[in-house]
Amino acid sequence: MDTVPLFQLQILSAILFAAGLATVLVRRNLFFVLMGVELMLNAANLSFLSWSRVQAGAATLEGQVAPLFSIAIAAAEACVGLAMLLAVFRTRETLDTDAYSKMKE
Amino acid sequence: MIAQVYFWIFAAIAVACAFSVLASRHPINGAMALIGTMVSLAGVYSLIASPFLATLQILVYAGAIMMLVVFVIMVLNSAKDHYTPMLDGLGAFGFVIAALIGVLVARVFVGLDGKASVKINPSAPRGDVEAISKTLFGSGMHTGGWALLFLAIGLVLLTAIVGAVLLAKRHLDTAETSTEGGH
Repeated sequence: MDTVPLFQLQILSAILFAAGLATVLVRRNLFFVLMGVELMLNAANLSFLSWSRVQAGAATLEGQVAPLFSIAIAAAEACVGLAMLLAVFRTRETLDTDAYSKMKE
Repeated sequence: MIAQVYFWIFAAIAVACAFSVLASRHPINGAMALIGTMVSLAGVYSLIASPFLATLQILVYAGAIMMLVVFVIMVLNSAKDHYTPMLDGLGAFGFVIAALIGVLVARVFVGLDGKASVKINPSAPRGDVEAISKTLFGSGMHTGGWALLFLAIGLVLLTAIVGAVLLAKRHLDTAETSTEGGH
């Protein structure tokens, strides 16, 4: 069975991670910050999974179980993150991160 | 070579959607593009013989998590990006940092191409439901204690849900809404 080379998978993962990091750093909307974090977690999962295919036997399967926990952590993160976003929006009435400058004043 | 063709299609869709998350103005457009990235990543997962993780990717990521995100975007209707500059000093700095990290990581992985020991193992077992459930819940000597970790992750999710409810309902305790709810 033909497969995809490891380095192509890893470079796809690196590109997706860089796109997610750029989204977190550049965008000023809290929704986009959260979505950038999700994108970075996806890239990490892809890297995890492609490295698990390098191993043999039980190590491959353990490498496939680890992203499952990463997905569960991502679900918890999205849940708490969105609740915090709601709470922040209720007090400040904006999602613009440039507006959250109360600690600077 | 058919796997390679499918991989290029999925990778092109994933990268295009990822950059449109970066570029889109309204959060709904960004969320839809992110769902595109996640679904094509599920395709990549099934290409590298991990059908269970591909299913989980669509069910949990593209289904549950992004549904929650889209739901909150629709609740906060005034959440549109107010055309904040993306290419001022801070934004350009972010682009440079992200590109630098991406290039550095990619540079490391390009070196993997020639090394014989770090190739995809074609005889590695398929990550289907049976194999993964045996690893996760198996009770032999050589299981890595994943079942205990699975219980712990249940507690983490429960804590996250309780915390989210507490964070989101705090507003109900303040005076303005309690008088509203009084009559």
